[in-house]
Amino acid sequence: MTARRNAFCCGPAFTRRRFIHGAAAIGAISFASWPSRSAVAAPSRASVLSGTEFQLEIGAAPINITGRQTTATAVNGSVPAPILRWREGDTVTLAVTNRLSEPSSIHWHGIRTPSPMDGVPGLSFYGIAPGETFVYRFPVPQSGTYWYHSHSAFQEQTGVYGAIVIAPKDGYAQAFDRDYVVMLSDWSNEDPDTIAGNLKFKSDYYNFNQRTLGTFLADAQRKGLAETVADRLEWGKMRMSPTDILDVSGATYTYLLNGQPPGRNWTALFRPGERVRLRFINGSSMSIFDVRIDGLPMTVVQADGNDVVPVTVDEFRISVAETYDVIVQPMADMAYTIFAQAEDRTGYARGTLAPRAGMTAAIPPMDPRPLRTMADMGMGGMEHGSMSGMGGSAMPGMDHGTIPGMNHGAMQGMPMNHGSMTGMEASPEAKKLEGSVGVDNVAMTPTERLNRAGEGFPAGRRVLAYTDLRATRPGGDPRPPSRDITLHLTGNMERFIWGFDGKKFSEAEPIVLQHGERVRFVLINDSMMEHPIHLHGLWSELENGHGAYRPYKHTINVKPGEKLSYLVTADAPGRWAYHCHLLYHMEMGMFREVRVP
Amino acid sequence: MIERLYRLLAMSLAPLALVACMNTAPTIAEEAAAVPLGIDLGGSGPVTASPEPRALAAAAVMDETHGAQQQHTGEMPMAHGPENDAHGSATVNSVDSAQHKVNLSHAPIREIGWPSMTMDFPVASSVDLNAIKPGVRVNFTIKQQPGGIYEIKAITPTGGGR
Amino acid sequence: MSAFRIVLLAAALVTIVTAAAEAQVPPAKEQPAPGMELGGAVQPVMDRSIFAHVIFNELEGRWNGSDTEFRWEGQGWLGTDYDKLWIKSEGTLSKGALDDGQKQFLYSRAITTYFDLQGGLRSDIDSRPTRNWAAFGIQGLAPYFFDLEATGFVSGQGHLAAKLEASYDLLLTQRLILQPQVEVNVYSKSDPARLVGAGFSDIDTGLRLRYEFSRKFAPYIGVVYEGKFGQTANFARRAGEGTSDVRFAFGVRVWF
Repeated sequence: MTARRNAFCCGPAFTRRRFIHGAAAIGAISFASWPSRSAVAAPSRASVLSGTEFQLEIGAAPINITGRQTTATAVNGSVPAPILRWREGDTVTLAVTNRLSEPSSIHWHGIRTPSPMDGVPGLSFYGIAPGETFVYRFPVPQSGTYWYHSHSAFQEQTGVYGAIVIAPKDGYAQAFDRDYVVMLSDWSNEDPDTIAGNLKFKSDYYNFNQRTLGTFLADAQRKGLAETVADRLEWGKMRMSPTDILDVSGATYTYLLNGQPPGRNWTALFRPGERVRLRFINGSSMSIFDVRIDGLPMTVVQADGNDVVPVTVDEFRISVAETYDVIVQPMADMAYTIFAQAEDRTGYARGTLAPRAGMTAAIPPMDPRPLRTMADMGMGGMEHGSMSGMGGSAMPGMDHGTIPGMNHGAMQGMPMNHGSMTGMEASPEAKKLEGSVGVDNVAMTPTERLNRAGEGFPAGRRVLAYTDLRATRPGGDPRPPSRDITLHLTGNMERFIWGFDGKKFSEAEPIVLQHGERVRFVLINDSMMEHPIHLHGLWSELENGHGAYRPYKHTINVKPGEKLSYLVTADAPGRWAYHCHLLYHMEMGMFREVRVP
Repeated sequence: MIERLYRLLAMSLAPLALVACMNTAPTIAEEAAAVPLGIDLGGSGPVTASPEPRALAAAAVMDETHGAQQQHTGEMPMAHGPENDAHGSATVNSVDSAQHKVNLSHAPIREIGWPSMTMDFPVASSVDLNAIKPGVRVNFTIKQQPGGIYEIKAITPTGGGR
Repeated sequence: MSAFRIVLLAAALVTIVTAAAEAQVPPAKEQPAPGMELGGAVQPVMDRSIFAHVIFNELEGRWNGSDTEFRWEGQGWLGTDYDKLWIKSEGTLSKGALDDGQKQFLYSRAITTYFDLQGGLRSDIDSRPTRNWAAFGIQGLAPYFFDLEATGFVSGQGHLAAKLEASYDLLLTQRLILQPQVEVNVYSKSDPARLVGAGFSDIDTGLRLRYEFSRKFAPYIGVVYEGKFGQTANFARRAGEGTSDVRFAFGVRVWF
């Protein structure tokens, strides 16, 4: 370990030597009972594990988030799982023992491990059977903030998630004095199988912000009866609701920050004037968060573990499985609230940045709820003669509390007459999807709108968009792609079926890439929900207008009705999982294998 | 007999002690935590040159020119404005006249995010080191050079030397 | 202790301790190479899972000022996204006798985004003579959010029947929901033993106001109308029964 040591850092250096001594000690004590499982000493209960040898145990643990005692699946007894600290260039060995009564697994999200170490049952390995120990061993080829989680059933929902912090071998590009992991997640006391069953029966089970007689009357008062009726008929004809933001909401979720509900006030300490690095990780199952710290602008320095040219914002939207590292510099001797509200405004996660423990700052009220717009339905950029020039994506849709959302992009005041629209045909491949069991909508004119973070942000705040992410170094592979692979993100809300190109995983073939090939993935989101799409094992270089400085990401959030593309170099052989990271979408079929033989 | 018992006791206690040492303890006022406290993973240490942060316009317009501009100022610009120098106070440990460098134990330098450290600094050739002796307390100004090394461009005794 | 014994003891201790240390990190398990077929035994996602649900749309007492009848109407299904086994059951308990006891046992296949095709058996089992039919129909969500079931029946004797059910959920608030609902039966041939006449036979319609304490448990009150028409009405009058009945309903809508 280098000599750089902040006076307030954690305890003594955790070296390999100490681990072996400790392990030997444990071994000496427990040898008499080895291999009887009941008497084996438990792995370390520390919240941060460093070094190159790790022991992780997945097992049931009691948990109490809402005041009701219930059971979680925890790693080494804690939710979130311990923070793993690695160093770029080291080879790490992690012995993962499964003490559950069902198979388990751990996937190292964003880490480019060899395929057999990737942790996806059915693609990488058979999974970890109950009682079994699987030893992961791989070199760490990268640095930054990442996370790890179970890839079996719904264990990620019930607590198997934790952070990975990898120290860069060349040192950091920005100075900071303090460094905190901020892991955002969602917790429900309900069994996730029950949640899945509820969604299958009634996909808007958890949506208590639907359109009612009350919102109809309020809209009619504001916009006029004719327009309101036309609007309701329009959405009704499609059998869709613009209030569908997140499938599982605060109706069952409590949002956690580092495992703590908002009332527990997780606190990170600082001295005024110090620069504090916050490693935001969205380790939730179904929740997209809008993060801000009132009074403190945040300088985003890394996205998905990779350096970006620092950009200062007031707020960012972090989708499931993404990470953003920000540096803040609180100058005043006061507390600041770290505020992460769910996109559908049904709840928030909260922490405090303070000079002393016990301080709190005001918790802001939640922003107005967004509404889906016609651009989200894939009808963005439509023009009707005299309405031309009003691009569909230019007008945000917002729900101001009891006053429902204002508009649908360019359609304001103009009922849709599908018959009169010429030249508005969906592409042939998209038309084939219409009407099938797995597809309830096809985006007719999907729009590229990477320069907008989405709906629901009040004016006047600087919000991070994908076009703001510019890598600090040009990409490693300068070749243009040799082919495009176009995939539609599809779903049927009513039946709660999700997939790619109208097909679930079990109905589809793997996507095969040549080893060394450079391809472009084009994603068209035909559904009206965001999907964070994650490709294991290979970097996704998002084409956001920065040319060779396009950002390297592992998870890309595709907005409803959006079309975007990214380049992939198939430089690692293996069977790689490729899926939406909304857990219940993934389990309902939104999953593919990308195979590099 | 007693010797055997004692040996047994020592052998069984020693591993326990090692196990206790093995755990990295969470930090910072743990005893005051009725409130769950975050675990500080530590500072960054000395850093290399990096681009100046861009502030976003509210309309989120992409600024093409900004990225390349700041690459070679060789400085971590901070809230204090256009100056590229950092200032600190220290105690001199040794002076190397031949190589024109000093070894200082300095206090934290907030401007560049440094904790207190003991380290060598090259000194700009124009700076006179006659008054700088081991044990002297000094105020100094450093400036980052291309390549990342900080060089002392001014150093003066504070008058409170030992 | 002799020196030899001490050395032996030390060696044994060292061996034990290092063996235990290594035993703590077990040898690497046999790992599949990239591209190796793991077989279909383990799937990364279980997207062909079987789900089962039961719902009682009507579980109510109906009171017309003098007597109370009890009515249920429920459905249950079990299966995957595409293929399900479906059971439907309804009946009215009135003055100690079971009336309108229709049960359907169907196979349901998802054919379009919103509709399932269903086929199977219908049995009328109540206090009157039992009848069996083959059933064939569709069920799903029509535009503008109408729930629709349309089923046709053929009996062993070649008689035809049809049943149409529709309902709509109007949200007054997030939990207070007004539901108009209608069920209509049509028969091709009259069946006097069952007091059923040819043609447009009967209608059972109601307006129910429910409050969803939870999604799965919603008590309701409402007004229902049971009407008999044509030949069915004649049969009813001859048997001394009413042909047009308005009742106050109170019950609970449950599903799980």
